[in-house]
Amino acid sequence: MSYTSGFPGAAGTATRRRLPSFRGAGPVLPAVVFVLLGMVAPLALMLRTSFDRFDPQVLIVSAFTAENYIRFVSDPFFRDVLGRTVAISAVATAICLVLGLPVAYFLARFPSAEAKSRLLLLILVPLLIGNAVRTSAWMLILNDHGVLAALLRGVGITGALGLMYSATGVTIALVSVLLPFMIITLNSVFEGIERSLEDAAESLGAGHLTVMSRVVLPLALPGILAGCVLCFTLSMNAYATPVLIGGPKFHMMAPTVYQQITEAMNWPFGAALAFVLMGMTLLLTLGLSVAVQRRYRRWTA
Amino acid sequence: MIRLTYTVISALVIGFIVLPLVLIVWMSFFSNQILSFPPEGYTLDWYARAWSMSAFRNGFFTSLQTSLCASVLALVLGIPASLALVRGEFPGREAITTLLMTPMLVPAIVGGSALFVFYLEVELHSGLQIAGTMAGLIIAHALIALPWVVKLVTTALIGSNRSVEEAAASLGAPAHVVFFRITVPMIWPGVVAGALFAFVNSFIDLEKSLFLVGPDRTTLQIALINYLEWNFDPTIGAVATAQIAFVTVLLLLTSRYVKLHRAF
Repeated sequence: MSYTSGFPGAAGTATRRRLPSFRGAGPVLPAVVFVLLGMVAPLALMLRTSFDRFDPQVLIVSAFTAENYIRFVSDPFFRDVLGRTVAISAVATAICLVLGLPVAYFLARFPSAEAKSRLLLLILVPLLIGNAVRTSAWMLILNDHGVLAALLRGVGITGALGLMYSATGVTIALVSVLLPFMIITLNSVFEGIERSLEDAAESLGAGHLTVMSRVVLPLALPGILAGCVLCFTLSMNAYATPVLIGGPKFHMMAPTVYQQITEAMNWPFGAALAFVLMGMTLLLTLGLSVAVQRRYRRWTA
Repeated sequence: MIRLTYTVISALVIGFIVLPLVLIVWMSFFSNQILSFPPEGYTLDWYARAWSMSAFRNGFFTSLQTSLCASVLALVLGIPASLALVRGEFPGREAITTLLMTPMLVPAIVGGSALFVFYLEVELHSGLQIAGTMAGLIIAHALIALPWVVKLVTTALIGSNRSVEEAAASLGAPAHVVFFRITVPMIWPGVVAGALFAFVNSFIDLEKSLFLVGPDRTTLQIALINYLEWNFDPTIGAVATAQIAFVTVLLLLTSRYVKLHRAF
C-alpha cells in the first residue's frame, strides 16, 4: 500500500531512503516461526495422533485407523456429551443474544459519551477477570445455602434449589460469563449504523419496534452473526463452568478432552475428541453463517 | 417509555454480569466457615489465610512470572512483525496477519492439549523436557499474548500519520532517530495497551495452562480450581477479590491509553 503525504512528491527518494524501512518480510519471520512451532505443528501432530491406536501398556501405537472417531460415534456416552454441549451452547447463545441486543443498542445510542465509556468499562472489566473467579462467584449464588436461596427464603420460598450440578445452573453461569462478548460485539455494530436511517423511518411513521425489526436489525445482521459465533464457540469450549457448576457427573466436551488426555492418558481418543469438538463448532457456525447470509441477501435485494 | 424500557433492561443485564463479582468481594469478609448467606459476622482472616497458603502464594508468583515473561516474549516477537506487516511491501501480508491471530481463534482447550502432546513427543525424540517446566508454560502463554500485541500495535501503526516521519527525515534525521523519536512515540499507546492486554489475558488463562502446569508449579487460576474441588470457604473470596482488584487496576491503566472496547 502506498501512503500519501500532504504534498505529492514531497518525500523525495533521498528522504525516503532515510525513513526507517520495514519493507522486507524479515522482521515477521521470528513471530511466524513461533506460531508455526507453537500452534500449527502441535495441531498437525494432534490430528495425526487422532488416527493412532491406544494401548494401555505403551500408551500410543502408531497406526492409521479411524477407530477413535468410530468409537466416538458408536458410544452413546460420548454422543450424549457432544449433544449436551451443543444444546447448552445453543441455548446460552440465544439467551445472550436476546439479553445483549437491547443493552448494546442502548449503549450505542447513549447520549453522554463519558458515561457511556464508563458503562462499557463496567461490562468489559468482568470479561477479563477470568473464568475461574467468575464461575466461583456463581457457585456462591446458585448453591443451596447461597445468595439466591437466601433471597428466596426471604420471600417465603424454601426448599432445595437444585441449580448446582444442573444444566440450568451451568447455562445461567455461562450466559453471565459470555454476555460481555455479545454486548461488546453488538455495540460496535450498532455504532456503525447511522442514526439518520432510524430518524427517517420514524418520521415516516414507523414505531420503534418496526424501526428495529425492519431497519436496524437487518443492517446489524452480520454483527449479530459474529456475536453469536463468538459466544457459541466460547461456550462449546467452556471448561470452568461445567466443571465447577456442573460437577463431576455433568459432562461437557472440554472437560472430557482434558480428562481423556491427562487422566486416561488416551491421547489418540482425546485428540479425536478435540477435533470432533472443533469440527462440530466450525460446521455449526458455518451453517449458521450460510443460512443467515442467504436471508440477508433476500433482505437487501 | 421506550427509553425507560431500555434503561431497565440494561440495568438488569449489567447487574447480572457485575453483581456476582460484587457479591464475591462482599462475601470474602464474612466470618462464616463455609461460603453461605447471610453473614454471621465480618473478618479479615480469610485474606491472611489465603496469603499463608502456599498454593495461592506460589500460584500468584508463578502466574506473575509466567505472564511477565510471556508478555515480553510476545512484545519482542510482535512489535517487529507488526511494523513489517503494516509498513512492508511483500506479498502474503494478510495471510501472515491471519496466521499470527490464529492462537486467539483456536480454542484454548484444543491448543493446550495439542501443545502438551507436542511437548511430550519432542521429549520422546530428543530427551528435552518441556512439559511441566517454566519454559513450556511461558511458550504457551506467549502464544496467548502474541495476537493481542499484533492486533493493538498494527492498529496503532495504521492510525499513525506517516507524513510526520517524512517531515523528520526530510529535515535530516537519520533512520534510527526517526524511528525512536517519531515512530515509537506515535505507536506507544498501542504498544502499552498491547503489553497490558497480553499480560492480563495470560494471567487469567485457565484452559491452556491446565495441561502444562507441573506438580509443584501451578498458576493462580489452577490453584483456584484445585482448591474449589474440595473446599468452599471465603478463602476463595479473598483470592478472587485480590484478582479482581489486580485486573481492574491494570485495565483502568490500559483504558488511559486506548478505548478498551476497541481492542476486541
